[in-house]
Amino acid sequence: MRAMVAVALNTFREAIRDRVLYLILAVALLVVAGSRFVAMLTVGSEVKIVKDLGLAAVSIFGLLIAVFVGTALVSKEIERRTVYTLLAQPIARWQFVAGKYAGLFLVLAANVLVVGGSVLAAVALMGESPVALVPAVVLILVELAVVAAFAVLFSSFTNPILAAVGTVAVYVAGHLSWSFDLLRKRVTTGAARTLCDVLHAVLPNLDRLDVKADAVHGIAIPASTFAAAAAYGAFYALAVVVLACVVFERREFA
Amino acid sequence: MSGTIRAGLLLAAAVLGAGVARARLVALEAPSAGPKDLLYLPNGKYLRAASLGQAPVAADLVYFWAIQYYSDYQRADRFRYIEHVFGSVIPELDPRFIDPYWLGALILTTEAADLEGGLRLLDLGAAKNPGEWVLPFLAGWECDHAKEYDRAAAYFDRAARIPGAPAALVRLVAGMRARGENLREAIAKWNEVLADPRGDDASHAIAERQVRTLTVRADLKDLEAAVVTFRELRGAPPRRLEELVHAGILSRLPLDPDGKPYRYDPATGAVTSDASRVLGS
Repeated sequence: MRAMVAVALNTFREAIRDRVLYLILAVALLVVAGSRFVAMLTVGSEVKIVKDLGLAAVSIFGLLIAVFVGTALVSKEIERRTVYTLLAQPIARWQFVAGKYAGLFLVLAANVLVVGGSVLAAVALMGESPVALVPAVVLILVELAVVAAFAVLFSSFTNPILAAVGTVAVYVAGHLSWSFDLLRKRVTTGAARTLCDVLHAVLPNLDRLDVKADAVHGIAIPASTFAAAAAYGAFYALAVVVLACVVFERREFA
Repeated sequence: MSGTIRAGLLLAAAVLGAGVARARLVALEAPSAGPKDLLYLPNGKYLRAASLGQAPVAADLVYFWAIQYYSDYQRADRFRYIEHVFGSVIPELDPRFIDPYWLGALILTTEAADLEGGLRLLDLGAAKNPGEWVLPFLAGWECDHAKEYDRAAAYFDRAARIPGAPAALVRLVAGMRARGENLREAIAKWNEVLADPRGDDASHAIAERQVRTLTVRADLKDLEAAVVTFRELRGAPPRRLEELVHAGILSRLPLDPDGKPYRYDPATGAVTSDASRVLGS
């Protein structure tokens, strides 16, 4: 456990020294700050625009961090051959992967805290209560945790470019997973139906974690829905991280 | 010539060439043939799928673009796709986004003089947001401007029944009923205002005055219509108002709000009231 924590903290420290992270964070904060000016272009709904753009910034820039930082986590260690030094230490391979994931999650949590906190502050400064936005911000973090798990999984067996493509593909498919259910109703053959069922069940249903629209309109998310969505995302991410650990355990280094 | 100067000259030449070519492209651009750019605006359902979880922001962006688009008064045929933009694309992306419904309706009713189109947008918004009293309320005003007072009253009535709507909306219903000459219905609504314990003194005073005025107006209207009927049946006007009851045209003669009988002039057939004179009508 101690070894895993050490890897996680090291990953976090390494990531926050990365200039890319600061660039992404700076642009995200710029979007949040700029949303007040963008809101001047609208007729009514200024606060809604600030909330929409702010939550989108938390989500999109978090995704960029998960992809750019996450997909290089394991493969960079292999490329630089530092993985050999690390694995020569008394640390199991799964601890290494799990530690990397935990470090990435910390980075994402810090990003969500800073950018999400700015959005909540901006809304409060406009005289509206930002409380309804909190569940949406938390579920964005849960969604990013799922995406980050895929980034680490892909990073554990392929190069950063392919891992980035794979992670983005999972993100896109995760937001379109409803289409497999739709497709299932249209296809006639049993095998195609089974394939649709499997894809619908296996791919992450990221739309289930998206409550931004409700939150922006001040509609309270029922506690049971929030808890179920958070549990779904957390267990899904856990399953993908376990898979990444298994893949990395079986990987042979030349 | 040093390498730096050569590179600088090449850069300047490239920038100049790009600038000239761009100016030429702009000059060659065909004038806009109307709202063809709107023809290819995808359905909101597809935009929603393509937005990958960012549908509210996509709705905002389409709304921004629509505001700029419809602010250009030089466009030909600019109202053709307005219901597609404000009634299909944006509501599919964010059905609870209220402002596009009323803004689209405002453009349609005020600029395009298309009351029905505007009401369709407001009805759609109200159907998707049954808790928002403001949309039927605005529909009521649009009908009022179009002098369709019965429809206005129906919209205000719908708005007034939505929880959270201001109590004063019932006064608008009553006002529209009176403007539409449905005086008895207007009196019933003003009596509702009078009986509402939430109303303040000013509201009750307005309601009381309206009930008095409208009662006189309604009674005079009924009496004058009865005199006309009597004349048609008997070939001459009645000598006294009581004859209207004897002839079975009225079941009884009404009294004015002060409890006094209405005045009748057999020579002209005119019915008047002291109460109406006191009230200034």
